[in-house]
Amino acid sequence: MATTRRGRRIHPGVERMKAQLRSGSCDRREFLRTVTLLGVGASAAYAMAGRILGEKIVDPLQAAQDAGRRGGILRVSMPVPEIKDPATFDWTEKSNCVRHMIEYLTYTGPDNITRPYLAERWEASDDLTVWTFHLRRGVRWHNGDVFDAEDVIFNFTRWLDPKTGSSNQGLFAAMTEEYDTGERNADGSPEKGRRMRAGAIEKLDDFTVRLNLSRPVLSIPENLFNYPTAIVHRDFEKNGGDLLAWPMGTGPYTIADFAVGEKCILRRIDRPYWGETLEDPFIGGPIHLDEIHYYDHGAASAAQLAAFASGQVDMTFEVGKDSLQMAQSVPGAVLYEVTTAQTGVMRMQVDREPFDDPRVRRAIQLCCDASVYPELVYLGRGTVGEHHHVAPIHPEYFPLPAFEPDLEEAKRLLAEAGYPEGLELSIDVGNTNGPWQQQVCEIFREQLAPAGIRLDINVMPAPQYWEIWDKTPFGFTSWTHRPLGTMVLSLGYRCGVPWNETRYCNPAFDAALDAAESTLEVEERRRLMEKVQRILREDAVIVQPLWQPKFTVASEKVKGFRAHPTQYHLFHRVWIDA
Amino acid sequence: MRRLRAPGPGEAASAATALRRALGSLRESPLAITGAAILAFWLAMAVLAPVLPLADPNLPLEPLRPPLSVGADGSTTFWLGTDIKGRDVLSRLIWGARRVLVWAGLATLAAYLVGIAMGLVAGYRGGWWDEALSFLANLLLSFPVMVLYIVVITRIGASPINIVLAVTFASAPAIMRIVRGLVLDLKTRDYVLAARTRGEGALWIMFVELLPNARGPLIVDACLRMGYTTIALATLGFLGLGLPPPDPDWGAMIAETQPMGAFAGHAMLFPALAVSSLVLGFNLLADGLREISLRD
Amino acid sequence: MLRLAARRFGAMILIMAVVSFILFLIFETDKLAVAGKVLGPYSSLEQRELWLEREGYNRPFLVRYGEWVTDALRGDFGESIRFKAPVADLLWPRLANSAILAGLVFLLMIPLSLLLGVLAGMREGSLLDRGLSFLSILTTSVPEFASAAFLVALFVFELRWLPGTSAMTGGFDWSQLVLPVAVLVLYDFGYVARMTRASMAEVMTSHYIRTAILKGLPRHRVVLRHALRNALIAPFTVIVLQLNWLLSGVIVVEVFFAYKGFGALLYDAAMFGDIYLIEACTMVAVFVAVFSQFVSDVGYTLLNPRIRFAGSTVR
Repeated sequence: MATTRRGRRIHPGVERMKAQLRSGSCDRREFLRTVTLLGVGASAAYAMAGRILGEKIVDPLQAAQDAGRRGGILRVSMPVPEIKDPATFDWTEKSNCVRHMIEYLTYTGPDNITRPYLAERWEASDDLTVWTFHLRRGVRWHNGDVFDAEDVIFNFTRWLDPKTGSSNQGLFAAMTEEYDTGERNADGSPEKGRRMRAGAIEKLDDFTVRLNLSRPVLSIPENLFNYPTAIVHRDFEKNGGDLLAWPMGTGPYTIADFAVGEKCILRRIDRPYWGETLEDPFIGGPIHLDEIHYYDHGAASAAQLAAFASGQVDMTFEVGKDSLQMAQSVPGAVLYEVTTAQTGVMRMQVDREPFDDPRVRRAIQLCCDASVYPELVYLGRGTVGEHHHVAPIHPEYFPLPAFEPDLEEAKRLLAEAGYPEGLELSIDVGNTNGPWQQQVCEIFREQLAPAGIRLDINVMPAPQYWEIWDKTPFGFTSWTHRPLGTMVLSLGYRCGVPWNETRYCNPAFDAALDAAESTLEVEERRRLMEKVQRILREDAVIVQPLWQPKFTVASEKVKGFRAHPTQYHLFHRVWIDA
Repeated sequence: MRRLRAPGPGEAASAATALRRALGSLRESPLAITGAAILAFWLAMAVLAPVLPLADPNLPLEPLRPPLSVGADGSTTFWLGTDIKGRDVLSRLIWGARRVLVWAGLATLAAYLVGIAMGLVAGYRGGWWDEALSFLANLLLSFPVMVLYIVVITRIGASPINIVLAVTFASAPAIMRIVRGLVLDLKTRDYVLAARTRGEGALWIMFVELLPNARGPLIVDACLRMGYTTIALATLGFLGLGLPPPDPDWGAMIAETQPMGAFAGHAMLFPALAVSSLVLGFNLLADGLREISLRD
Repeated sequence: MLRLAARRFGAMILIMAVVSFILFLIFETDKLAVAGKVLGPYSSLEQRELWLEREGYNRPFLVRYGEWVTDALRGDFGESIRFKAPVADLLWPRLANSAILAGLVFLLMIPLSLLLGVLAGMREGSLLDRGLSFLSILTTSVPEFASAAFLVALFVFELRWLPGTSAMTGGFDWSQLVLPVAVLVLYDFGYVARMTRASMAEVMTSHYIRTAILKGLPRHRVVLRHALRNALIAPFTVIVLQLNWLLSGVIVVEVFFAYKGFGALLYDAAMFGDIYLIEACTMVAVFVAVFSQFVSDVGYTLLNPRIRFAGSTVR
């Protein structure tokens, strides 16, 4: 078995990946992404790729060696929600508020490559069920305590305790088990719950922990940068379980002032930050900013932009697609665009009339001419969707033959299903991340009309939509970017998983997804994904017209910023050019 | 607030003569004429919408064309341009007029039916009826109007019928108060006493003797209230709580374009002018009618 | 007067009780939805049920309502679901901000509308009267959000003179108040001006003033000494009632400009279904509504004891 010069074990997948890169069956980006996932350092990975391909590949680390000036305040317009308990965060904005105070075991950069953070490196067993994380030494909490395995075990235990109410339970489902709560359901059956399996996490020494999974999971390192997985101090609960009352982190900043719905002021800690000596393109090196200020101007991007235009902030969280021209017209504004796997799906519940008939779902899907949406909704930006929820930017994406809308076939299917006169439908829309959702439904309404389907659009405020998102028969739900396509499919489309909003259950799909998820070789995994994507598309549980691009605007004074597809903020290398 | 001098029983004119008289006296007030003309314009647009040569108001054509531009096919003219979703602004404006007049009208009508019924009963019956109904009205009136709308609409959904319901909730109490005040004044009149001695029932007296004689201030108030309801519908549309899309709604049209700012000024300007002019029409007419009634 | 005050106070308490009970009924009966709001949309059923049990939600509805009432009477309005902070901590600063906004609007609007109203009402039917009437009706006809959108397009993006939002994030800033105050004054002054004009016109045609003019007293003296005092009684009541509008009727403007006032808080709470916050805000709103009506009525009778008030004001 291969080892590094220092005698560390290298995952056998790395050699296979090297072979693939050599033979040209995977590209450079994919190679880098996968081998770093398997525990190879990013710089070493870039070097490997350079040797194999015989070309000089610039490690972003070197590219990021720009001067930088110490000092200054970065002011950002972003909603400031409550942030008491990181394990229960449900919005990206919440995690951004404290992202520079509490830190993660890993991080996925703007280049979609996952790198070490509080964990220095990690290894996975060949079957991807045992993951060993080596924690970084020399990291201290703001009160001087040493960061070690106890902190990590405390966090995992807390996330997987149902009482915490953390969505991480779904992310690390392979570490949990079903148990009898002792209570009875309304129908008299014993009530089941999920909790952490005994032995799911073990401490090998003070700086090494091991996760023992019940099934192979490839995305463990990527999961560890999902927004609710920030690591808090082991005494977090003893101190009230409230990050505001006891702001304790390992990061370069701490909360100096906070008011929900108004502002979150972060100030640089007055002790050295461990990451300043780290060699890393996005989080390493000297910290420049003195303070980071988040100001709440409401969720509407128009108000954020108005604040930016009048110099009240240096950057906004997001620029809505309708405001791009306005944003560009502001003197000194730099617009950042990022391609993402963020999307929205018009999803149908397969056990509710009329969607319980696959022919009806198929007919609805066949009406969707996805090619027009990027132009109409994003003025030519964005990517056409293919109704299977795997994005072209996902490494395992398999390019199925393009989806062809077919009105005649749709009409035929409807007639066969007993709706020769057409159908009346109503879709619930919450515009949960902007009015583009409503616009998509409006365009789809026009596309459905020729097939005799009349679509009523029931718009409701976002909070109301979140009350019914997994209950309505026909609704428009937004899904955020995840680095791997399989992550979303596992969360949303497996039989009986908590976020399965469509109640879709197809064992063949689950089996195909299992096969893909436990396969490391990219080429092989992509081949397996063909079946996964095809089944999901043919079962027609979602109509997915497009993938969203995301935009943000910053002043030209802001240097070193990279937009992230998940809209996570990483300001370690950002500086203000006064 | 001043009110109409109630006509005596002998003056009870037929509806037709009343209308003729009203139109005749309209001529004396330039404000009222302006208001009536604006309203007549929008009413005509609303009625004629289906026969006018307009594009489909919901069909996306070419996004953000300026006013008076010609479409890619060389034959369509976008008189007022297109909006960000590529829909013809003129068509949406006119169909929007139809929608706002229908629903603001229905909502005001519903509020009046409820408000008049409550006011007549409270004013004529008095006693516990009055106490209970006045308390109900005070309760609804002290509740912030916008919150009332939001609570009603978020709890039961933003369908047109529910919006009518919300407006009824918000407006009926104020109408009830006006009617009640008028009835308290009118019920001591001779002709009411006469009707009572004739042995007429309470319903007859309320609807035949009292209501027609209270119509003057109520017509003025109805005009004003149509204006408020138009603003309320537009505001709800602006907040995303209004009539369901994609059918045009003036408030929603402004909300959709607002993020574009000056880059789509036309798509915001025209609906804003439309809603303001319609409300202006109602307000001018109300003002003129009040003036005329005071002069009589 | 005392009897009137007592009656109104009693009615107010009753209204508050009924309103708070109805709101509780609307928002609290769906317990799982409440838990979902606290734990986030992605929380599982099991997690929600555990939370409900822990927070005592599984006790009878009336018990919980009673508990809320007793706490509220002691000044503890509970904790906001959305902000996860005591309601009282959120409420008072927001009320103070709204008071600043309302104060500025009053400061500008009252002199402006009284002046215009008196000028118009002095010579009813004159060109000045017609012009001012039309102007005041016109400005009242433009919805607040429409004028706000245009003022922002012009002064923020085109001319770049004024800040586009009014969140006061960097401390108090007068320039951030210009646009919201302008929008509100623009929308409201016409209404008060018209009321003043009507009242002035009525006074000017009264026998008392006519006699004074016929007696040969200088016109300006008649207006200043005799007419004004009587003509300002009606506008006074209208102005007091604007207080209620400025507290909870300016939601759209506060939301538009991200001003951290009471209206925006109420809007957030209502949109989110944040029950304890809605309850507290509504109680404040009801109090101000009843109180301003009371002040208006009392003022009217005090200023003009001859007139029995009908108490019907449209708005």
